[in-house]
Formats: sequence, structure tokens, C-alpha cells
Amino acid sequence: MSAIGLMNLEVFRRAIKAKGLTPATLVPEASGGRVEEAAIRPAEVVEGESLRMIPVGPAEPWPGSLAYLDGIQKSQIIGYAGSAPLFVAEIAAAVRERHERRLRTVAEARRVIVLGRPDALTAAGTALATLETFALPADEPPHPLRDIVNAGHAVDQARGALEVVVGDRYRAGSEDWLVVDGTLAVSPRWAADGRMVAISKSHSILPFGGDDLGQYLRLPCGHRSSVYAPATRSLAPVRAWGLRLWPWEGKDLLHGLVRVEVAPANASTENADAISRWILADRAPVSAPDRRWDRLLYGMYSVEQYLKARA
Amino acid sequence: MTGFPLALLRLQSIMHPENPVGRVVATELKPSTPHQFHFWTARESPIGIGAIVRVEEGGRVVYGVVTDGFAYSDLATPMHAVIGADGDPVAAGSEPTARAEIRLFTAAVLRQIPEEPLQPVPLGSVWLASDADVVLALRMDGYTGGDRATGIPVGLYAAGGLESPVYLDCDFLLGPEAAHLNITGVSGLATKTSAVEFLLSSIFQTFPRHKGSVAAVCFNVKGPDLCFLDQAATLAEEDARQYARLGLQPEPFQDVHYYAPLKADGVNLNSLRTNEALAGNTEPLVWGLREVLDYAEVVLNRDDIDAKADAFIDFLAERVVGREYHDEMLRGKPFLVQSFADLDQFFRSIFDFMEAMGRGSEVWRTHHVATIRKVRNRLSNISTRSKGLVTDDGVSNDLPWGGFEDRSVHVIDVAGLDPLAQDLVFARVVSKLREHLERRDLGVDHVVVFVDELNKYAPADGPDTYVRKMLIDLSERGRYLGLVLFSAQQFRSQVQRRVVGNAGTAIYGRMDMDELAMPAYGTISPATKIKLATLPKGELMLRHPHFTQPIFVKFPRPAVLNSREGIERFPPAAELPFADAVARQMRRLDRRVSADAVRALIDGRREDDVRRALSATRRERPDDAYAFFTACLGRRVNGEVTAPRRGIPALKRADDSYGG
Repeated sequence: MSAIGLMNLEVFRRAIKAKGLTPATLVPEASGGRVEEAAIRPAEVVEGESLRMIPVGPAEPWPGSLAYLDGIQKSQIIGYAGSAPLFVAEIAAAVRERHERRLRTVAEARRVIVLGRPDALTAAGTALATLETFALPADEPPHPLRDIVNAGHAVDQARGALEVVVGDRYRAGSEDWLVVDGTLAVSPRWAADGRMVAISKSHSILPFGGDDLGQYLRLPCGHRSSVYAPATRSLAPVRAWGLRLWPWEGKDLLHGLVRVEVAPANASTENADAISRWILADRAPVSAPDRRWDRLLYGMYSVEQYLKARA
Repeated sequence: MTGFPLALLRLQSIMHPENPVGRVVATELKPSTPHQFHFWTARESPIGIGAIVRVEEGGRVVYGVVTDGFAYSDLATPMHAVIGADGDPVAAGSEPTARAEIRLFTAAVLRQIPEEPLQPVPLGSVWLASDADVVLALRMDGYTGGDRATGIPVGLYAAGGLESPVYLDCDFLLGPEAAHLNITGVSGLATKTSAVEFLLSSIFQTFPRHKGSVAAVCFNVKGPDLCFLDQAATLAEEDARQYARLGLQPEPFQDVHYYAPLKADGVNLNSLRTNEALAGNTEPLVWGLREVLDYAEVVLNRDDIDAKADAFIDFLAERVVGREYHDEMLRGKPFLVQSFADLDQFFRSIFDFMEAMGRGSEVWRTHHVATIRKVRNRLSNISTRSKGLVTDDGVSNDLPWGGFEDRSVHVIDVAGLDPLAQDLVFARVVSKLREHLERRDLGVDHVVVFVDELNKYAPADGPDTYVRKMLIDLSERGRYLGLVLFSAQQFRSQVQRRVVGNAGTAIYGRMDMDELAMPAYGTISPATKIKLATLPKGELMLRHPHFTQPIFVKFPRPAVLNSREGIERFPPAAELPFADAVARQMRRLDRRVSADAVRALIDGRREDDVRRALSATRRERPDDAYAFFTACLGRRVNGEVTAPRRGIPALKRADDSYGG
């Protein structure tokens, strides 16, 4: 389905009003990104006996071609059936491949879905018949704010699933390195793929506590942590390490800190150093003016910009 | 697939004429309007400033010419580039990923189809203009097709590997709808002279017969610029190809006549076209008192024209010059004033008479002595400063008024003349052209007058001279007569606005940035100005009434020798002694004449008598030039030889060591 704009949503709002529902125009907070809870999930260090700060050496260009996979999501409340909100969300994912320093889109997918409790979806009836529907949990009484949170998780999942579809589609035609935003653990195939790297900007889930956490958060620029096995990756085991892209001193402990994930087979010390050096080289050009520029690689930024431009 | 073939494929795709090269974009800050639009292209696009493009969307076709270009990346501030390169400029160019960047162009609308309702340019795809598009975009479809086409090739529009002929409408170049052409550009690089030579050749080859006949009068005002219009140049293959593309023959002008004043000696030509091999169509331009007196205003108007001087000149022209004038008080014998010498005699008689009358006699026949002296000074001044152009003997050699041939070129070489004399030549020639065209008896229906250094003749500032007034009149009314001004100058802003403003067609060669900063160029975009300031030889920017925006074209070099080649191949003849110069001119009139015989004939004669006889022979062009010349000289009168008076010898002093 092609991208939807505000004008299209107005059409749906009028349609649900005709069905006796209450149209609305709320854009919930965090409707444009993943919703994560902050927590510490202790991980197991698999490189050496204890957590260390390891200098990775000077930045090196990524060998061969490289592609970036990322996705976007956007949702709005378009109305209420009683007190139960109805959401319309657009999710999209794309792969942009780098050739001769230039990025071009090689795979892309988009979906527009309507989310709501089953009763609300039924009440909307034919007003939203052209859209794909997704039922939110109805095991508790309707609560607009809780439904917003549930809808956010559902959109996150749908986006993640779409990224996997697009990533697999790309991987079916290419064996080049593919960098994904977030984690490899969403797919067992990705978690075992020796030519995939995930880079996470989010530190909601931290792998260490206590002194180790202090050490982890104070990695100097150009250093990585020891490789560890994250505890939260139950579906598909991966290996990860923290990598400081930019000096944090004078800014914030999280400034320039990313989590790198690779397949377990890729997690030797040599590979972790090499991949870290490649990622360091990818700091330029910086992805400013995005406020996450200290952790967001330009290739990822480019995918987001591309998807937003077409949304 | 490697990168290179990919880029190549992409370039091939962009260059394919059926593929769009861009897409119109409009934002609130940069909206599409009925006169302007913006479009983006791929980085490899062949679009550049001056390119003509076509937009198609929803049944509407819009043609535009690119007037500006922008490129920028998604870099928000230069600081981010510094951070990304870690402050190292070397690293700045080696980031693994190149930033996303845009090529955004602004285009001015040339034409919309349909023309009504006139609407903002639609947000459609953009194509590079094809040959057919260029014809439509420049509205050439209205005058380049059919039985009565009036198109004159002026050059080739070229962009993205495409090349299309561009035509001017002769109804708007040579009248009657509009007329005149002005060329501006810096010396040496703007190819002003070359452009005029090429365009004249194009006019002569393609001016439609149903529009009548055409000739050209060119004033050569500096060096040997226009001295070799009849001599073929060796053209490069590329030039020959361009001629073929324009449907023109690369050939020199076939019917060229050169006129140059004589030097002060009255026998050597004051021109750089004096090589013996070029003598066949080079004639002296010589005027007498009558020719000058008719344009005395040119001489007088510089600083002191007044009604009194005007009245006295009218009196001379109507009552004295060229007829018998009786005034018993001046002298018993009637005056017959035919030359400057006769006129000076007449003035002297007046002054003698007034002196004889004594104190209180300051007026002669209502003319004050001061007025008479002023007129005498000015007239004698022109005969002194223009010696060689103006003769004392009253015999003239002029352009063939009434006998102009179709497609003939008449070049008047005034490069060696005093500015006052140049003004006189210019005023008289243009006035005579006008008179004859008004009477329709010039011999042709249209005359193109080419004047270089227009800022000298019609300056924006300075006194309102006769020549400037005449040029204004020519530019405002000449088109009705078929009298067309092709003019050129370095700085258009230094020329009288009405003269350049009336030029229907304007050509700009390479321009000086200071000149482009003048308010008159305010409508030209900064990018177009940069292009104008760096324009290579052989490329021009063109304005024409049918073109709603300026268009860049290139043209082949003229098929005639340029000044440098001409001077190298035909170096000017050395200035000859009087007798040899006379002998050469006699041989030019009649090849049978022996140079030795002429030298013997004129040996010991007064030079004025020889000049007078030569002028008469030149004017008469008899079958037997030598016999006629001999008759004009008359019987030799030996002057009385006076023995030198013996002086008083100097005294020799014994103590003078140097004496002796």
C-alpha cells in the first residue's frame, strides 16, 4: 500500500464518524519509535575473565560493499469507539546499499495498519475496510492510555517483523555486509548470519551492574568492552560489546556509546576489533542534525530520511 | 556488478532522450509560478545554465531555460563536517559514505502550451529539449516553416549532447516589425566582430527573396578588423560541421567594396588594406567642400553651435558654394567657391573688406565678424584635421549612391581618421543612406550599418552631438526605411539607452563582471552572469523578441580571414614616395600605364596639381587614363629660377680652435 497522508486519515475520520464513532486527532508521545523499559539484564562476559576496556585501533574502511537496514513507524489515534481508541499506523523498512560512496535503495516495504480492540474494530466496520487490521489485547477493560501503550508495542512488533522481511529479501540476493538498527536477535537467521551486524543506540537494557556498569559506561573513545552474551536474547543467541564512537567526557556517559551485536561465530577478539574499527570509520559523515548523531551511523540516518521522505 | 558500469548505465539512462532528466519540485519558499519553476536532477545530469527543458504534466507542456543551479547536501552546519573529519581536511574527502546531495535548478518559462489559461508550472517530469522542442520553446515554429519563412540562422543551441539550430526572425532583425542588433562584450574575447561577420554572412545567404534585397555598410573603426571580408579563411572541421548543421556555406563575402581616406599626402591610402593584391576593390574616399558643408553641423555642434553660425553656414551653402557669387564691395570679379581653397579666399575677401571699412564695421550682410571667424575656423579645421578625406580641390570619390547591389558589402575604413573626421564620415554616410532609402533609390531595400565602438558615437553621458542624435533617430525610425543598425561596444551601460534599447536583438559575448554589476543587468540571474563572465570564444547569449528569455548559442568562426591572419597574409604596402604612389594609383585605374611614364610626367609638377589631376581621372575613369591625366595636368610651366643671394661671409677668428 502506498503511503498515507493526513488527508487520507481525514477520510477515515469522516467514515468512522458516519458509523457513530468519535473522531480524534491525537498523536501519542513516542508514536514514532520503539518503546522500551529501562532495566539491567546481567550478561555473561565471554572474552576473558572479566569486563575490560579494549582499544580497537585506528578506524578502517569497511571492506567491500555495505548495506544498511532500518525502519520507521508513525501512528495516530483517529477516533474512539466508546472509550477504546482506534489507531492508524504506517510502518516501513528499507535497505540502502553503498556503492562508490553513494547510497541507493535496493529493498523496501511499507504497511499501513489499523489497531484497536476487537470491539472497536468491529464497530468501525466498513469505514476502515481498506486497511489491514491488528487487534489489541482485550483482556482488561478499555483504558485509553493503556491502549496507547499496547498499540505502541504492537506497532514496534509489526515494524520489527517488516524489517526482518526486508532484510531477508535483501539477503536472498546479496552476501554483502548488512548493518541493521537494533538487534539481530529478532530473527534466528540474522543471529547466525556471519555478514550481519546490529548496532543499537538504545541503552534501556544495560548488560552490567555495579562497578562493571561504571566501567562499561566510561569506555574511552575508540575502545570497546569485552565481548559478552546478552541475557535477553532467548530466541536467538548473539554476542555483543559496547563501543564508544565519540568522546563522552564533558557530555554524558551515554554520548557516543553503541551496542554492537554479531553472530556468535563472528565474535572472536580479532573480529570484534575489526568490526569495531569499521564502525569507527563509519562515524563520518556525522548524521547531524539528527539529535542522535553521536550513535546514529550516517547510513542508518539515510535510510530513515529516505523512508520519511516517502511517508 | 562493479561501480563503474553502474554509473555508466545510469548516465546512459539519463542521457536517453526519452527518459526524464528531472522532476519539478515546489515548496512554499520555492513555489512554481507561471514564469519560473524549480526541478531536481541526478548528479550525473547534463543540465547546465542555459539548457532548455520541457515539462509535461496533465496535458500541459512548459518549456523553460535554466537560469540558476544549486547544490547542497544534508549537512546542517559546517561544524558537522569538521567533526566528521576530526578536523582533518584530508580525511574530509574520504568518508566511506558521501552525503546525500541535491542538484536543484531554477528555470525561467519560455513558453506554455496551451498558453491560456496561464498557470503555474505543473509538478511534472522534466526532459532535455530536443530539436523540435527548441523550435517550439523559442516560438520559431511561427517563422521557420512554410513558403514564406523568415528565419536567419544565428547559431547552435547545445546542451546534453543535443544541438539545435537557432533562427532569428528577419522581420524582427531587419524590420519592419522590429530591427537593429547590438553586441556587447569585452575586447578580444567576446568575438563581437566575428559574430557580426558570421551573422552578416548568414543574412546574405538566407535573407528570403520575397523580403527584397539587402546590403551592408560597415565602418572599420580600429585596426584591420574588417579589412579582409573577401578573403577565405581555413576552417577547422568542427566549424565546417557547424556550418552544415546551420545549412550555411562557409564562404567569404562575394561582393565587397573598400573605401579608405587618403593620407595627408593625398595619394597613399590611410588604411591597413594597402597590399597590392587587394587593390582591386579598394578605393579612396575623398570628399570636397560641398559634401562637408552639408554636414557642417557635425563639425560645429561639439561646443559652440548657435543659430547665428547656423544661419551663416546656410548662407554659404545656398548662396555661395558651387555657384557664382557677386558682391561688388568684396571684389569686382564674381566668386566661384568650389573648394576649401576657394572658400578661404572668399573669407579673406570679407575680412579685408571689413578691415578696410575701419572701426565700427563689425557686421557683413547681417553676419557678425565673430560668427564669420568661428565658421571659418571650424571649416578650415576639418580640412586640416581630415586632410586626405577632405580635398581642397572639390573633387570627391564617394560610395555608389543609387548603385548598391543586393548582398554587397561596403566597408569604410575610418580607423586612421581623426575622431572629428570619423564623426563626419559616419554622419554623412548614414544620412545619405537614409535619404536614398526614403526615396527608394539606393539600389537595395535594406541596409545593415555596422558600427563598432558605439559608446564613442552614442555615449550615455556627454554632449548631445549630431552623431548621437542621428543614431537615436536611426534606432527609433530606421526600421521603417530598411535602415538597420548593427552596433557593438565593450560596455553596453556606457551607450545611450535609447539606442541600445531600440535594438530588437541583443547579443552578449564574454562580459566584464564590473559591467554585469550595473543595474541594467539586474534581470540576469547570478549564475547566468557567471556564465557570461566566463563565456568561451564562439559562444554568445542572445535576446530576440520571439525569445522570452536569453538563450546561449555557439556559432562557427567566420569564413573570412580575421585581422591577424589577414595582416600576416596581406601585409600593408610600405608608404610610397609621392611619385610612386601616384604611379600606383594610375596603374590601378589602367594597368597599361607605365609607372616610369607617370613618374616622368609629374616630375617637377606641383603636388596639388598632380593630386587634382589624379582625382579627376579617378572620378572620370576614362578609357585612356594616362591621356586624361596628362590633359588634366596641362602644359608644364617652368617656374622662374631665382639665383640665391650671396650672403656676407663670416669673419674668421684666429683664436677660435673650432673655426676654420
